[in-house]
Amino acid sequence: MTMYAPGSVTELQAVVRESERIHIVGNGSKTALHCAVNGAAIADLSGMSGIIEYQPSEYTVTARAGTPVRELNEALRQKSQYLPFDPLLPEQATIGGTVASNLSGSRRFRYGGVRDFILGAEVVDGEGRTFRVGGKVVKNSAGFDLSKFLVGSLGKYAIMTELTFKVFPDVPRFRCLGFLFEALEDALSAIYFINQSAYELDALDLAPARSVPPINRGKKDGNWKLLARLAGFDDTLPQRVERFSAAMTGDTATIQVEEIKDSAALWNPLADLSGEFLVKVVIPPKQLPAFDVLIAHDHRRYSVGGNIAFAATDDIAQLDAALDASGLTGLCLRGAVDSAVIGVPIDNALAERVKQVLDPQRKLV
Amino acid sequence: MATAIEKCVHCGFCLAACPTYNLLGEEMDSPRGRIYLMKNVLEERLSADDAQPYIDRCLGCMACVPACPSGVEYGDLLVSYRALQEDQRRRPPLDALARKLVIETLPYPRRFRLAAQTGKLSKALSAALPDAFASMLSLLPTRLPPARPIPPVLPAQGARRGKVALLPGCVQQVLAPEINYAAAQVLSANGIEVHNPPDAGCCGSILLHIGAEKQARDIARRNFTQFPADVDAIITTAAGCGSGINDYELLFKNQPEAERATEFSRVVMDFSAYLAELGLREPAGFEEERRVVYQDACHLIHAQSLRAEPRALLNQIPNLRLLEIADAGMCCGSAGTYNIDQPTIAAELGRRKIESILAAQPDVIVSGNIGCITQMRQQLELQGNPLPVMHIAELLRQAYDGGP
Amino acid sequence: MNRAVIEALELIYPSDRLLTRDVELLPYESDALTAFSAVPGAVVLPINEEEIIDTVRLCHQMALPFVARGSGTSLSGGSLPIPEGLTIGLNRLNRIKKLDPEQRIAVVEPGVINLHITEAAQPYGLYYAPDPSSQSICTIGGNIAFNSGGAHCLKYGMTSNHVLGLKVVLADGTVTTFGGESVDGVGIGPDLVGLFVGSEGLFGIALEITVRLMPQPELYRTVLAAYNDLGAAGDAVSMVVASGLLPGAMEIMDRLAIKAAEASVQAGYPDAEALLIVELEGEALQVGAEFDQLLDTIEESGAFEVRVAQNEAERTRIWKGRKGAFSAVGRLSPDYIVQDGVVPRSRLGEALVQINELKEKHQLDVANVFHAGDGNLHPLILYDGREAGALEKAEALAGEILALCINLGGSITGEHGIGMEKRDYLPAMFSEEEIDIMQALRRAIDPNEIANRGKMFPGGEAPALSQHGMHPLERAGLISRE
Repeated sequence: MTMYAPGSVTELQAVVRESERIHIVGNGSKTALHCAVNGAAIADLSGMSGIIEYQPSEYTVTARAGTPVRELNEALRQKSQYLPFDPLLPEQATIGGTVASNLSGSRRFRYGGVRDFILGAEVVDGEGRTFRVGGKVVKNSAGFDLSKFLVGSLGKYAIMTELTFKVFPDVPRFRCLGFLFEALEDALSAIYFINQSAYELDALDLAPARSVPPINRGKKDGNWKLLARLAGFDDTLPQRVERFSAAMTGDTATIQVEEIKDSAALWNPLADLSGEFLVKVVIPPKQLPAFDVLIAHDHRRYSVGGNIAFAATDDIAQLDAALDASGLTGLCLRGAVDSAVIGVPIDNALAERVKQVLDPQRKLV
Repeated sequence: MATAIEKCVHCGFCLAACPTYNLLGEEMDSPRGRIYLMKNVLEERLSADDAQPYIDRCLGCMACVPACPSGVEYGDLLVSYRALQEDQRRRPPLDALARKLVIETLPYPRRFRLAAQTGKLSKALSAALPDAFASMLSLLPTRLPPARPIPPVLPAQGARRGKVALLPGCVQQVLAPEINYAAAQVLSANGIEVHNPPDAGCCGSILLHIGAEKQARDIARRNFTQFPADVDAIITTAAGCGSGINDYELLFKNQPEAERATEFSRVVMDFSAYLAELGLREPAGFEEERRVVYQDACHLIHAQSLRAEPRALLNQIPNLRLLEIADAGMCCGSAGTYNIDQPTIAAELGRRKIESILAAQPDVIVSGNIGCITQMRQQLELQGNPLPVMHIAELLRQAYDGGP
Repeated sequence: MNRAVIEALELIYPSDRLLTRDVELLPYESDALTAFSAVPGAVVLPINEEEIIDTVRLCHQMALPFVARGSGTSLSGGSLPIPEGLTIGLNRLNRIKKLDPEQRIAVVEPGVINLHITEAAQPYGLYYAPDPSSQSICTIGGNIAFNSGGAHCLKYGMTSNHVLGLKVVLADGTVTTFGGESVDGVGIGPDLVGLFVGSEGLFGIALEITVRLMPQPELYRTVLAAYNDLGAAGDAVSMVVASGLLPGAMEIMDRLAIKAAEASVQAGYPDAEALLIVELEGEALQVGAEFDQLLDTIEESGAFEVRVAQNEAERTRIWKGRKGAFSAVGRLSPDYIVQDGVVPRSRLGEALVQINELKEKHQLDVANVFHAGDGNLHPLILYDGREAGALEKAEALAGEILALCINLGGSITGEHGIGMEKRDYLPAMFSEEEIDIMQALRRAIDPNEIANRGKMFPGGEAPALSQHGMHPLERAGLISRE
């Protein structure tokens, strides 16, 4: 297997031109994405790293694709800003890999996902051409928006070399509440209540009660825990927490409310998901009850208000079947698989046209 | 003053407000489209005959006027265009006869009453009327209500707070005399001295609406000398009269009486506007809660910007619950021969209006315009629904009497 | 239009929904950008998606160019007809097919009016966030084609950020769907929703749209600050941003725009060189705390008058003046061109100074209205089309303003799209290769280049600028200009 580690766009272009088939890797944090490359050359982009331009007053940041998320987060933190889409693997992933696989964490709940914060990119396509897509200002509607197209594209249409994002000011304080429910349906009803209320939560995740470590003792199988995080200023946060807690107690079927100490681990939806394979599933909350029955033996967390499921399993075939049966698609992030995309295939006529233009020789895999 | 077609910047904001666009979804049936058609006719890119059906389909509800950020005076434009086209328009003989009959009958209550009673008015006549007046004619088949004479001067009750004259109007006083009667009583109960000049009459709007400009002027002119000069206001109870008189400046442009006409139009006020400004003496109200929908007449809400005033009056009545409905500013479709010329559109607008009103579950519907009242009654009749519909003056009168 | 095409269309449409007479076609010859006009060969008014699909397939077979049209409110000429082409009026497909407040989504047809979604969602405490000024009439289909924005984009994004799923018919008749009801949208695989939204009708027609709804903020706090100097208002925006606040909207209007808005809605705006509107929204307690901070910042910024909307009616009035400002300029000038450039926020002041210089140079009036929070400028260039050469002069000034936006590191369009109006400026923003790639993409989807032909890309067959002149009614002395 040929390995390349291009240090510049020009070098990457040369690699693409020379190779018959090529697969891109950043830090390799999502192992399942790099299994089925079938002899393609591998280009490691972790060397193409670094923040190029960060203008806090513009709410924009531009970085090379191989930049570790950790580095980017740290630079933003120093100016009290953050990437509101909340990269899922902040300690391991590169920003390019995060965009290519569209992986957001729990805080995506407040303002949106990768697609909502990407402004533009510089890419090298399957023909070795380099060009810009999108823009560098927070608002732009000139030309086709290929920058959004790159989100979730898994490096199969063009290789991102540089990315520009919109960023937001971060809030100084967080408080977390855990709400216990007898059953999944009760917890979902509580989510629906929140969805129609004016409470602004920073994050909202749902997990089987036993799986949430600080509070898993004594919880019955079948109980669910809804984790809510509020963010804001010191002087109003306590009142807001109280008000929200009271509303939840009064208007939902919660059987227990407790305050939980806020921590990075609590809001890492993957933290407690052990299993050989780890899969992201995009799912409307209303499909959760039926789907949950099918994967009841797996470790799982329903993040972002129940819109994104993460499941860990030792039996990927069974999960694949469950997805198929539910009409859902999953992206395998961890474990050895033939294809990272499982469940219902994502082939699409429009995506295929883009492929014909950006990578007619089908080099990018 | 009349303003240019070119003031229209084609932004499309008027489309949302236009009843025919809402129903038909065609650019030609929108205010923006009609302005464009008028422009093209005048520029001779289009024949007037081709454009006419779309211009005729306009209800003249004026909902587009307040919706227009550019300040296009659509009403003036429509009147100017219609007047311009009227000269060139060839009408079939029957139509022309009916038109003559309208001009010579409707503005004159005595002639009209006689004609109506002797059955000389027919559907052929109503076919000549492109506005709210024709729907009143559909009341004709049933017998005419007895007249409700009002004394020349109705004294104020209690301390005198003002002095007004009542504009008698034309068709309404024959077909629904109870409206002006109730208005006079309510005004009097509020300490207003009400004058009813015996020789005052039609304001001419009815003729202006059919493009008979000269005749409209002739009849309007007569009113200039009939009213006492020292009244606080001349009150009208018909939406169309109020908005028509507002157009006197346009009607009398370059005429010797231009100044007098403008002066006159400034004194004329809608019943609800005058009372709201003065403030009601608290009526007795109703014993049981009365749920009321106020149906906005286009010529009040759009042409005269009277939205808050009638509602303020109703809100002062004890035990009255005022209900709001969806799309309150949308025309009910009563616009006159509209029922005959454009039966599908008129019926559909009426149906939608009644649907919105019934959703609010009222005990009574009130309006400030006889045209709307008639349309509502017809729609309810179709459904066999006995819900009462009345003029706001009539409901106020009931409120002072402590119930019907 | 040729007989064979009409006959083919007659197989799909009854005569009342197939418009072919001049009187039916002329009203469609312009959208809200009247500098351009073109008479379509025919207009069809489908009432269901099958008819749209059949029509697009027919167009593909016959290589007949088409443009989809909603309410015709594009400010970039996006829905300008193609001469002898087909205009597909989608405004009758106006059903909200599904409203699910629990999942905060709605599924709608393309002809649904933007504001109607909010109205339908309101009883559930929800709303549809993108709020272009024309929201009371513009349709979702058009919003999707041009990725419409509005005053609240900084915090919540543009149309693209609120569309989760689409069913579309591509220009060659292929029907495909992507995304769905999860808030993650497409989620896995390339974000096709993101690509389709803003493609200016060149890829095809959206048939069914899944949008996300947002909870109505518990509280809005709206402040109006008046300045003696436009630059000071611009600086105030930077100060607000630097203070760490994230307002829902920040809008600036200059003297001329204030005058127009005032004439239109009598918002009671103060007499000032510039007005800044800042709006905070969210949970009451949080907004209350933020608002104190905001008022401190505004005070420091040198505003000579600060007004706080005390209730919903006052807030509405402040916004009414702003939202109607474009059209209100129709009261000041017979004609105008609206520009839509973007500059980095920190360079707003610079941009305004340069626009002022250009305005002097060209001897034209420019009214400025802009979404200051995201650096989106809307200079309105006033001209009188009855004067020979006036339109060309205004166009020249518009071009120079766009060039300055690019020079300052911005974009030629924030939210109106390229359309007809800015297609010649596309090369100033993208390299030849980038444009080639976009063209290739377009041809991969639409080999005949029939979908909205003539838009976005420079050159090509295009209708000429229309002639303006004194109106015949004016000439006849029947009407006059105030």
